[in-house]
Amino acid sequence: MQNPYIPYPVVVDKIITEVDTKDIKTFRLKFVNPEDEQKYAYIPGQFGELSIFGKGECPIGIASSPTQKGYVEFTVQKAGVVTTALHEMEEGTLMGIRGPLGNSWPLDYLAGKNIVVVGGGFAFTTLRSLINYMLHEDNRKRFGNITVIYGARTPGLLLYKDELAEWGKRTDLNLNVTVDKGDASWKGREGFVPAVCKEVAPSKENAVAVICGPPVMIRFTLPVFFELGFSKENIITSLEMRMKCGIGKCGRCNVGSKYVCKDGPVFSLAELDKLTPEY
Amino acid sequence: MEKRLIKKDALAGIAKKMADDFLVWAPVKKEDNVLFAPLGRNDEPFFSYLNSKNAPKNVFFPHTETMMKYTRTEKGMTFSAEVNKAEQSVLFGVRPCDAHSFVLLDKLFDQEKYKDGYYIEKRKNTTVISLACATPPYTSCFCTSVDGEPVSSDGADILLTDIGGDYLVEFVTPKGEALSKYFGETKADAQAESKKAEIAAQAKEAIKSKIPAHEVKPILDVNFDNPFWNTIHGKCLACGTCTYLCPTCHCFDISDEVKGSDGVRIRSWDSCMFPLFTKETSGHNPRPSQKERWRQRTMHKFKYYVDMFNAISCVGCGRCVMYCPVNIDIRKIVQDISKL
Repeated sequence: MQNPYIPYPVVVDKIITEVDTKDIKTFRLKFVNPEDEQKYAYIPGQFGELSIFGKGECPIGIASSPTQKGYVEFTVQKAGVVTTALHEMEEGTLMGIRGPLGNSWPLDYLAGKNIVVVGGGFAFTTLRSLINYMLHEDNRKRFGNITVIYGARTPGLLLYKDELAEWGKRTDLNLNVTVDKGDASWKGREGFVPAVCKEVAPSKENAVAVICGPPVMIRFTLPVFFELGFSKENIITSLEMRMKCGIGKCGRCNVGSKYVCKDGPVFSLAELDKLTPEY
Repeated sequence: MEKRLIKKDALAGIAKKMADDFLVWAPVKKEDNVLFAPLGRNDEPFFSYLNSKNAPKNVFFPHTETMMKYTRTEKGMTFSAEVNKAEQSVLFGVRPCDAHSFVLLDKLFDQEKYKDGYYIEKRKNTTVISLACATPPYTSCFCTSVDGEPVSSDGADILLTDIGGDYLVEFVTPKGEALSKYFGETKADAQAESKKAEIAAQAKEAIKSKIPAHEVKPILDVNFDNPFWNTIHGKCLACGTCTYLCPTCHCFDISDEVKGSDGVRIRSWDSCMFPLFTKETSGHNPRPSQKERWRQRTMHKFKYYVDMFNAISCVGCGRCVMYCPVNIDIRKIVQDISKL
């Protein structure tokens, strides 16, 4: 049996600087042993522990979709010891990843429904995984209308710009990208995510909202969806806590009786209501 | 299973004989403390102890443990899992409360989905010999309130009970029975057994400290925000002694250490009493003060563990009560909660 504490060896295959502030990068990782890719079969919404030897580990949501074969991607903001070391890495470096960890976006529950994806800033990563998964030709029929509302503070802080452009050309996706404040070259929408949600006003009929973003965005976005009539069962989000083991043993990421690493990170608002408010 | 009698003064000799064949962890006197330590050739086990200062959980879950090793190469690091083979061991003479803690820790480390091989391997290869508390050692003992008893084979492979001049030796599991050759030939008679039953009843009766550990669960379920939580932590120093000595506290940290081009990833005990335990990189801390940390510790023992594993995560050893430098008493906390 696989020792859950031991990472799979991976090579940093490609590094993409996502934002103009240069502190968010996407790391495309390839497995050193091809058979490990099978063992790392993941579902959108799960996360991995990125392992840099000599520095430690940090839990990061998986940004690629399982429909993208041959690699796994993580989009990482430079913040602490491990992520700073990661940002200083060059392509070709050996590192490790553990996982996949945690539950996932509830794909079976989402199937057959209209999906509203709402993302803010850097929290868009596992939503991107979900969108790419749903848009894949093998899966698109399983989901109804897909509406995406994604905002960042400035145009330069939007992640996955090429992909956003591609999605914008599609007819089977209602894409709404917004920035708090545009610049001279920005031709898109301006405005905060909650306001855009109100404007787009997705129907609650047979719909689920999947929302990820900074706390301030969540705080103002939820009332919009309540007003639109979405039930708490049909608003789904993902939590973050400090983690170490990722498998519910080291004892630090619990919210009440649930470990965010093992029982989460994905919870519906109805589920969150039952947890203690300590996150 | 079979029961035998051994002379009381034979016990140390048996432990030492076993130590010729296995790694034997036994209580030994170290300065002012009694601690479980591997029994060396010249060590004398000390069985007339009350309880060891540290809980013996470190036998299965050491303070610090290597999880993997790695070596620097031109391209980064290559790594290898630490070889995880535990040698055949005997944990000789633990108190029943501490043996009970192993049953509780098993629930966490040996779950169906994620198995903690480091713990399981040592646990699997260790025979636990409990030394019953014929006379309960401390007034702070409260095992009978948390599903324990001073004379109990819970978590043990062999149970030794002082019945006067002899120890009654009970082989509880096949793993225990496999060591029967060390315990002489004298079969226990009915008289010894009835004497043991008498002592067990007396010992149970002698535990006077009681807490409503089961009764507080439904109260904790609905009192996360009760102002009561403001009343515990004021004097707490966040020293972590309670969690360090606790037989069931299992929180750990994972960190890397590098020396030259070689490094190790280790895990070490950590504590929910420490501010950094839950502090996130952003600066946000879901448990920002000692108040939330005390609530977590109390809830974890008497509610969360019950929700997760249907068992209270406290064995009533009383170490946290005895050694807290500012006299925070978990018994009083539980009693106060029962009145909310």
